Amino acid sequence: MRRPVLARRDQVLRGGQPLAFAVGLAVALVVGVLLLMGSGHDPLRVYGRMFDASLGDPRAWSVTLNRAVPLGLAGLAVAVAGSMGLWNIGAEGQIMAGAIGAAWVARIGAGWPGPVLVTAMLAAAVVGGGLLALGPAIARARIGVNEIITTLMLNEVAIRLVQWLIHGRWKDPGSHNFPLAPMLPANGRLPTLFERAHVGVVLAGIVIALFGLAASRTAWGYELRVAGSSGATARYAGISLKRKILTVLVLSGGVAGFAGGVELAGTADRITEGLSNGFGFAGIIVAALALMRPSGVAAVALLFGAVQIGGQSIQTMGVSSSVSTILQALILFGAIAAGVLSRYRIEMVAGDTVGATASGDGS
Amino acid sequence: MNPAPGDAPATSVPAVELRGVWKRFPGVVANAGAHLTVRAGTVHAVLGENGAGKSTLMNVLSGVYRPDEGEVRIDGVARQFRSPADALAAGVGMVHQEFRLVPSFTVAENVVLGAAERIVRRQAVESAVAELAERFGLATEPDRPVWQLSMGERQRVEILKALWRDARILILDEPTAVLTPGEADELGRILRHMAEDDRTVIFISHKLHEVTGFCDEATVLRGGETVAASLPVAETDSSALAGLMVGSSPVISERPTPVAAGGPMLTVVGLACLDDRGLPALHEVDLTVRAGEIVGIAGVAGNGQRELAQAVAGLRPTTGGSVHIDGIDLTAATPHQRFGAGLGYIPEDRMGVGLAPRLSVTDNAILRTYSSHRRGPFLDTEAATAHCRDIVDRFAVRTGPLDQPIAGLSGGNLQRLLVGRELSDRPRVVVAAQPTRGLDVQGVKAIQDLLVAERGVGVAILLISEDLDELLTLADRLLVMHGGRVVAEFDPEAAGRHDIGEAMVGNASTGVAAT
Repeated sequence: MRRPVLARRDQVLRGGQPLAFAVGLAVALVVGVLLLMGSGHDPLRVYGRMFDASLGDPRAWSVTLNRAVPLGLAGLAVAVAGSMGLWNIGAEGQIMAGAIGAAWVARIGAGWPGPVLVTAMLAAAVVGGGLLALGPAIARARIGVNEIITTLMLNEVAIRLVQWLIHGRWKDPGSHNFPLAPMLPANGRLPTLFERAHVGVVLAGIVIALFGLAASRTAWGYELRVAGSSGATARYAGISLKRKILTVLVLSGGVAGFAGGVELAGTADRITEGLSNGFGFAGIIVAALALMRPSGVAAVALLFGAVQIGGQSIQTMGVSSSVSTILQALILFGAIAAGVLSRYRIEMVAGDTVGATASGDGS
Repeated sequence: MNPAPGDAPATSVPAVELRGVWKRFPGVVANAGAHLTVRAGTVHAVLGENGAGKSTLMNVLSGVYRPDEGEVRIDGVARQFRSPADALAAGVGMVHQEFRLVPSFTVAENVVLGAAERIVRRQAVESAVAELAERFGLATEPDRPVWQLSMGERQRVEILKALWRDARILILDEPTAVLTPGEADELGRILRHMAEDDRTVIFISHKLHEVTGFCDEATVLRGGETVAASLPVAETDSSALAGLMVGSSPVISERPTPVAAGGPMLTVVGLACLDDRGLPALHEVDLTVRAGEIVGIAGVAGNGQRELAQAVAGLRPTTGGSVHIDGIDLTAATPHQRFGAGLGYIPEDRMGVGLAPRLSVTDNAILRTYSSHRRGPFLDTEAATAHCRDIVDRFAVRTGPLDQPIAGLSGGNLQRLLVGRELSDRPRVVVAAQPTRGLDVQGVKAIQDLLVAERGVGVAILLISEDLDELLTLADRLLVMHGGRVVAEFDPEAAGRHDIGEAMVGNASTGVAAT
């Protein structure tokens, strides 16, 4: 009898991650077929509709791109921290904090010229997200408090803060006592690029490219790579780990805050408690699939944007939008499983499990 | 069934027999035909310096590695273990240096984890674990979560895990490394207790006083080979064991001609620091290395050599004393500033301290000098690559593409890259900690030649090594450390191996006291 075992490859398979991602996508689509058939739908029609709605024409593309913006920026936020081996699980809350900052500037600057107001709003969004990450960053750098716990818990704080604002002092007087913040002034919205797509698409692309450049080409990025590879090596090379942890976590929060500002000024038009919409958590998946690399983040965010928009479109066919959530999860699992195969190969070995070669029980 | 403990007749079947074990890793031969015979019901020490192949041999015995060649016999039956579970089924359990415990689980939960019936009644398990612990004199509280326990207590949980799975043969890999002296004594009592219960204990160590304290027999490994098998500890003195551990087969047969040494270059005065556990590791160490001189530090591992290297390099905070290079006080300087002042450091841990494993060859080559390969905020990739290319060429590093991770390089080439980087910026002082450990013969020769060449151009070298032959061949002066102090100084050309061995175990009646 022979049985398969996993054996470690001597060298990691090159180009393994894009391959793993493709395998994960294929697995997800196949399992999705079974899921749809099981619930009485025609998988081909459903997939066709999903494709048309997300990538079928320029309008569909514009909607998908708008969705990819917060996913990509949140993914970048997680990847910034992840490049040093830190986990920012708080992008969800930092998006909210960024939106609060932007909305606050919009309230006081309603009379400012559009470009000034929008720039100030986005700057405030970065500051808001960075401020929310500052506490966890100091705690981690100074006394080693696990940033996973602190960033995660601050999500709740930020979301409650938004609720408190829109139920109280930011409630729109014209909302007939509904807990709604007022709409943004027209000069506080991001200009349109094409169809539904807003300028945030370009801004997100620039931010992701800038970080990619900084990470791969600058001395700062080099220090980040060393620190992420081994803390002891970083100390040996004269790199201050404390300062690196502090800047990286605050920067990570700032990027997530920027996502909140762009989402507010580009898509949402008013701050609501649903504004972050799970983007911060989806960003963790995006960054993980991209192996914390900026270029990968952009590609994965685009795909996830398409899956999410496609998933929404099939609700009119009576298919639950949960299908798109399930597909995203399946892509993740499939890609992780396939990723294992870039580090291990399957080997068949002879079957017995207990290794006595001589008969007898040792008496 | 089992032979009687203690004075077993020579004809009885040994509990463990390893014959002709070979195990090779890329660039390193870890075991070269090693053999080991352990009588049942004894505590058997396996001695050897780091890199002697002790851990590899024990991993072969416990099913972690499969040997390239060789035979494993348990109670006289040949076995081929595929996994630690296989070995455990045959009665061989191992307690690793790093504990494998779930911190949030209780002692009892950790003990039965993976070996329990499907449904576990908490109280029944706790009382069963308590009973087992009591039988072997292992003081423990089964209902305490593991995160609340001291290192010594955690180790007892690991031992209980093996006993719970009915291990007749228990291997402990450097068990006292994490223990306080009191806890180590306690462990010795427990091991004696187990031997009296007719279990067999294999105790890996390089601390001689523990071996003479509670082991019956000792096997000494050096360079992957068995150099002394099953010596009765009661009839062997510890300086003889120390001599066996450090060996007598020189790699460089001739002493390179010394050069005329210049003035003092590295001056260490009254240096003191703590070890990883917060206990004093160095006590008022004074030493001077002159330009064009190699000063060797000998000693049994764990007597402060590692901490001395780290403290001089600026990677370990000091609690007293000073470090000067060419008259400049660097006691409070960062590692980076010390490098700038002309201090090259070859750390004992190559991967993870000296080199960053996931980064490319170039990224590793510029670790010390990257701040000078800059154009504004950007790294000057061309300058970095040129610097790397220069090191690779000058120090004959065999490597693939320079932008690929260093993980693919062999041990010898990794060390050439690291040493080359430290020497490339014309240092005035080099601290080399175990620079040739674990390398093959060619690699050892290459690194030793580099150090000699540096001395030739007037560099002051502090060479810390566990290879006494290396020290006797290369060093102009030899200092011996024991218990965190420099206890003796020898002239390598005149010194007797026996006298050095005596100094290494703390009997510094011979030699010139250096403090």
